[in-house]
Amino acid sequence: MPADKSDDIRIGVFICHCGSNIAGYLDMEALGTYAETLPNVAFVQRNLYTCSEGGINEIKKAIGQQNLNRVVVASCTPRTHEPLFRSSCGEAGLNPYLFEMVNIRDQCSWVHMQEKEEGTNKAKDLIRMGVAKAALLEPQKPIMSPVFPRALVIGGGISGMTAALALANRGYEVVIVEREGRLGGMLLDLNRLGPSMTDALQLAESTVKAVSCHPKITVFTGSRVTGVEGFIGKYSADIETPTGGKKIDLGVVIIATGARVFVPAGLYGYDAERVITQLEFEPRLKQGIDPSIKSVVMIQCVGARNEERPYCSRICCQTAVKNALLIKEKDPDTKVTILYRDMQMYGVENEEMFRESKAKGIRYVNYNPDRPPQVQAGSVLVYNALLGKDMELPAHMVVLSTPLLSREDSDEVGKLIRVPVDANGFFLEGHVKLKPLDFATDGVFLCGSARFPANIREAIAQGLGAASRASIPLSKGSVVVEPIISVLADMDACRGCGLCVALCPYGALEIQKTDKGRKVKVIDVACKGCGVCAATCYQHALTINSFTDNQIDAQIEAFLG
Amino acid sequence: MLDVGRHPNIKLLAYSEVEKVEGEEGAFKVTIRRKARYVDEDKCTGCGACKEKCPTVVPDAFNEGLGTRKAIYSLFAQGIPSTHTIDPAHCRQLNGKKCGICAKTCQAKAVNFDQKDRVVEIDVASIIIAAGYDVFDPSRISEYHYRDLPNVVTAIEFERLLSASGPTGGHLDRPSDRAFEAELAELGKKVEKAQKALEKYEEKYGASSSDFIMKYRSGDYGDDADKAKWAEKFEEFLPMHESLEAMKDKASGFSVAKRLAFVQCVGSRDFRFYPFCSGYCCMHSIKEAIIAHEHGPETTSTIFGMDIRAVGKGFEEYKIRGGNHSNITYVRGRVAEITEGQNHNPVITYEDTRERKVKSQEFDMVILATACAPTKGIIELSGKLGVELDKYNFIKTSPISPVDTSVPGVFVCGCAQAPMDVPESVAQASSAAARAAEIAFHYYSEKEKAVAC
Amino acid sequence: MRIMCTGRLDPAITARAFKKGLDGLLIIGCYFGDCHYISGNYQAKAKLDVARRLYEYVGMNPERLAFRQCSSGEASVFVKIVTEFTEKIKELGPLGAGGDRLESPLLIKKLETAEAVLAGEKIRWVIGKRAPFLKTGNMYGEVFTEHEFRRAADMIIVEETEVQEILAGLRDGARSVKDLAASFSMPVEKVFRHILALKRKGFVVPERIVGRSPLYTLAPKEV
Repeated sequence: MPADKSDDIRIGVFICHCGSNIAGYLDMEALGTYAETLPNVAFVQRNLYTCSEGGINEIKKAIGQQNLNRVVVASCTPRTHEPLFRSSCGEAGLNPYLFEMVNIRDQCSWVHMQEKEEGTNKAKDLIRMGVAKAALLEPQKPIMSPVFPRALVIGGGISGMTAALALANRGYEVVIVEREGRLGGMLLDLNRLGPSMTDALQLAESTVKAVSCHPKITVFTGSRVTGVEGFIGKYSADIETPTGGKKIDLGVVIIATGARVFVPAGLYGYDAERVITQLEFEPRLKQGIDPSIKSVVMIQCVGARNEERPYCSRICCQTAVKNALLIKEKDPDTKVTILYRDMQMYGVENEEMFRESKAKGIRYVNYNPDRPPQVQAGSVLVYNALLGKDMELPAHMVVLSTPLLSREDSDEVGKLIRVPVDANGFFLEGHVKLKPLDFATDGVFLCGSARFPANIREAIAQGLGAASRASIPLSKGSVVVEPIISVLADMDACRGCGLCVALCPYGALEIQKTDKGRKVKVIDVACKGCGVCAATCYQHALTINSFTDNQIDAQIEAFLG
Repeated sequence: MLDVGRHPNIKLLAYSEVEKVEGEEGAFKVTIRRKARYVDEDKCTGCGACKEKCPTVVPDAFNEGLGTRKAIYSLFAQGIPSTHTIDPAHCRQLNGKKCGICAKTCQAKAVNFDQKDRVVEIDVASIIIAAGYDVFDPSRISEYHYRDLPNVVTAIEFERLLSASGPTGGHLDRPSDRAFEAELAELGKKVEKAQKALEKYEEKYGASSSDFIMKYRSGDYGDDADKAKWAEKFEEFLPMHESLEAMKDKASGFSVAKRLAFVQCVGSRDFRFYPFCSGYCCMHSIKEAIIAHEHGPETTSTIFGMDIRAVGKGFEEYKIRGGNHSNITYVRGRVAEITEGQNHNPVITYEDTRERKVKSQEFDMVILATACAPTKGIIELSGKLGVELDKYNFIKTSPISPVDTSVPGVFVCGCAQAPMDVPESVAQASSAAARAAEIAFHYYSEKEKAVAC
Repeated sequence: MRIMCTGRLDPAITARAFKKGLDGLLIIGCYFGDCHYISGNYQAKAKLDVARRLYEYVGMNPERLAFRQCSSGEASVFVKIVTEFTEKIKELGPLGAGGDRLESPLLIKKLETAEAVLAGEKIRWVIGKRAPFLKTGNMYGEVFTEHEFRRAADMIIVEETEVQEILAGLRDGARSVKDLAASFSMPVEKVFRHILALKRKGFVVPERIVGRSPLYTLAPKEV
C-alpha cells in the first residue's frame, strides 16, 4: 500500500471563503496556518470561491507546480460541489479519487455564526480529519460497461407509446409489453379529452397505428413481464406472451403502467347507474345521455384527500369541468352543479376551461369535508357556507369524481425491477423535483400516471421526457460508474456465506463458484456503494472504495487528536 | 448549472441575444449578438477584486433590489460562467467620466473598455425556447399598496430574505426596520463625527462640554469666537444625540417578522390582469411559510387563497403537514385591501367565506404570491422565430403535442409555454430535448431513417 | 463525518471509537422509507440496536451511541437532534467517569471485548437475519416476534461476550478452565462449555496438562 509511506504523500489543502459565508464567521487565517501544520500537508491556499473558475485554476496550477498527490478542499457541501472538484483534479492529471472534501460551511460556519472561536476550532477538527483520510485515499478507475441498444417499455398506454415512438424515431429498438389485448390504455375508455376536446379514441388509434407499423417497435399484447435480471445496459427480461415465454436482452426499462380508477363502493349511494363515476360517465356522454336527465350533480374528492388516501389526484377537477361542458354542449338547459373542496384548475388551459364553464351556467358549490353532501333520491343536499344554509339540488344523475389509484401490482412490478413505490403505491422517482422521470436505480425510467395522475398533455410530455432520459445511456453506448463501490478486497477471507448477498438492496452481489470455492462477486455497475455489505462482512473481505474501515478509523483517530 | 458549464457537448453563450433566425427544421441559421461585457471572458478569473474597488453602487437586481452591487459585477456568486461584466448604464468610465479603477485593479488584465458587441452565426437542426417568465408587478394592484407599504413584499423578495446568502443573511428582518436601521446608522455616523469635534475642544480646554456649556450659557466667556463655535457645535450635537438614543431605543425593540400573511392570486385569476392560474404559487407560499417556521419556531403564517391548488405528487400531504407542524392557517377568501396599522404593520381586510364575515387582521409582514407573467422579450423573440403565441403571450402548443410550437423544428419548455412548477419544467425540458433530438437524428444521422407506413 | 449511507456503519467501528476515547457518537440518517440506498437505514438501526444492548451489558451507558433521523431539508430538526445529544453527553461526562456502570480502565478493556463481539460472525448473522426472522420466519418457518427476537439477540450478546472474554484471557498464555472461571467470575461449568465449543471449532487447543487440568491456548492462526 503506497499510502503508508507518509513521506511520499503531498496533500494540498484549499480553504474556501465562500465569499463571506465561511470567512464572515471563522478565522480564516488561523485555519490556513493550522492546515500547514498537519501531517503530509505540502501546500495550503485560501480562495474567495474555490469553486469559481479562478479557484479551480488555482487547484490545477498547484497540483502541477507543487507536485501534489492528494487534494483536500474545505468549503461547502459535497452534494453540489464534489463532482466539480473531482473532475478538476482529473483534468490536472491527478486521479480524481485522491480528492477529499470537507464541509466547513453548512454544519460549521453557518451554525456557529456567533461563536467565532468555537467555529474555527471545529473547522480545524474537520480539516484535520479530512487530511487524515486523504492520506489513505487510493486511486480508483471509473467502471465502464456496454449498453444493449434496446429499450423495454412496460405499458402500452399513451405515455408508453409516446416514449416508444420517440426512442424508435431515433433509431433504437423498442419492445412494448401490454397486459391487455390491445394497445391504448385508458384512452380506450374515454370520450373526449380536455381542454381541446380531442377525440380520445381517434388519438389512441392514430398512435397505435404509428406504433404498430414502426419497424423498430415490437409489441407484445396480452403479455406481462415476469422477470427482469441484470442492471443498466445489460438487462434480460422474461416476457410471458400468449404464444409462450420469451427472453429478451435490453439496455433500459421505461415504466408506463398507468393507473386505475377508484370505485367508490358504499360512498354517496354509488350504484353504477344513477350514481356513477366520471369514468362510467364517459361512454354515456359519447352515446348521448338520456334526454330525460335534466339535472346533474358532480361531487369532487370522492375517496380522495381523506385519511386513507391523503393525496389530491390532480386531474379529477379538469375531468369534471370538461364533462360538465360536454353536457352543456348537448343540452344547454341541463342544470349542472359541481360540489368541490378546491377547484384544482391549475395553469392556463384549465383555468380557461373553468371560466368558460361558469359562463355557460355551470354552478359551483364549495363543500366542507366535515359536512359532506348527502345523496338522496332525486336530489343532493349540501351545506353552502357562502349562504350559511343547506341547499337541496335536484339531481337526475350524480357523477362522482374519484381519484386515480396506483396499479394493484405496482409493488410487484417495482420489486421485479428493484425500484420503489411511494406510500400511495405510485412509483417513486429519483428526486421529486430534479429527477421526476428517473429512478434512483440507473437505467429505469418512469412516465405517465404510473408516476402520479397525469392529464393527456402531461402523459405525452412525460412519455417524451422519459424517452429522452432513456436515450442518454442508449446513445452513449456504455455506462461509466463512479468507482466508490463495494470491492472484494480480500478474496481469501471470503467464505461465500452469502450474508451480504441477502442484505444487498440492489442485487449487486452474487455468489460464484471459483477454484478457491464459493466467493462473492460484486456486479460493479449495479452497486451504488451504500456499504451495507462491508458493514456486515465478519471476515472483512468486502470494503467500500474511499470509505474503507481504515479510512473511517483514521478520521475518528484524527478527531480524537 | 455547473453541469451545463462543463458538458463537452454544450456551448454556452451567456449575455447574448438571438438577432435573426433563418432556414427551416433541420437547417436553421441563427444569428446571435454577443453583448459586450467589457471584460474578457477568457482572462477573467472571477476573483472579484474589481468589484471591491468599483466606486459606483447600483441596486442589485438579483436580490430584488433589496441589496446593492457595483457597476462591475457578476450576477450572483456561483454564476456560470464566473466572469464579471460591466454595466454600461452605470459605469463611470463608459459614461465619459474619469475612472478605470477596475482596469487598474485587475491583475489578469481582463477589463477592456473598448470591447464591442460581436455577432455570431450558428447552424442548428432544432431550436428549444426556454425563455422563462417574468414576475407580475403587484404595484399595478392599487388596493395592495405594494410600493407604499414597506412590509408588503413579493414572494420572490421574501425568498431572498429567507436565503442565507441573501441581503439579511436569512433573518426575517422587516424592510421597514431595515430602512430605520439604515437611517439610524447614518445618524450614528453624524453623531460620532460631532462627538470627535467636541472632543478636540474638550482636550484643548481641559473641560467637559457639559460643564463648559453651563458656564458659557451664563456668559462666562464673553465673546470668545472659538468658545462660541464650541457652544454652537454642542448645541447642534445635543438634539442629534437625543434623537439617536431614542432611535436606538426603538430599534432595540425590533424583532424578526413572526406573523406572516401570504396573499394568493396576486395578478392571477384576476380579470384585470391575468385570468389564468399561475399554477405554482400555492405551493411556494406553503414552502416559504414552512421555511420561515424552520427559521423561527414561533412564526405563524396565514395563507389567503381562493382554492389551495396542491395538485402535484405529495403536495396535498405537504400542505397538511404545513398546517399541522408549521403553524400555517389556510383561509379561504380573497384579500380585499392591505392598509397600514401601527409600527408599519400591514393590516389585511378580507372576507372569510366560511363565516361570511368581513374581517381585518394585523401582520408583521405580507407576502404577495405574484402571477407568472409572460416574459417581456417573448413577443420580439417569437416574431424572429415565427412561432405563434396564445392570447396571453405564452408560446402556443397543443395538448397532444405539448412541446411543439407552430413552427416545425422549434420546441418549447417550461414557463415560456405556460406557468408550471419545477418537476414539470424538468420533465418538459426532457420532452423538448427528445423532440429536438428526433429532428437532429433525421437530418444528421447516417443510420437508416425510420420509415412511416 | 460523512458516510454515503448509515448502512455503511460497521458496529465494530463504534466500539473502536469509544475505546479510543470518544464520549458520544451520534449517527444521523434518513427517515425510514426515504433511504437513498433503499434499506441502508433499517440495517443501521438493527446494527446499532444490538450494539447499544451490548454496550449496556458490558457496562457503558448506551445513551452514548444514538441513531436519529431527519431529512436534508429539516435544518431545525437537525439542530434539535444535535443539541439534545450534545446536552446528553455533557450530562454523562467523559467516558468511564461516572456516567457509566463501569469506571474507565476496566470499561476500556470491556469495550475491547465488545469490539470483538461486534466484529464476530454470530452477531452479524443475527443482525442480518433480523428482518426475515420478523417477517418471513427462520428456515423452519417460525416467525419471531420483536420481543422473542430481542431475547434471542440478548442471549447471543451474553454468550458472545463470554466467549470473547475467554479468548482475550488466553491471549497472554495458556490457562485452565478453573483459572478462567475465577478471573471472570463465571461458573466453571459455563466456561467449560464455551471452551469445548471453541475447541470443536478449532479456535483453542489444549497445550499441556498441569495437575489434573488441561491448560488451553489459542490455536495457531491458519495461513
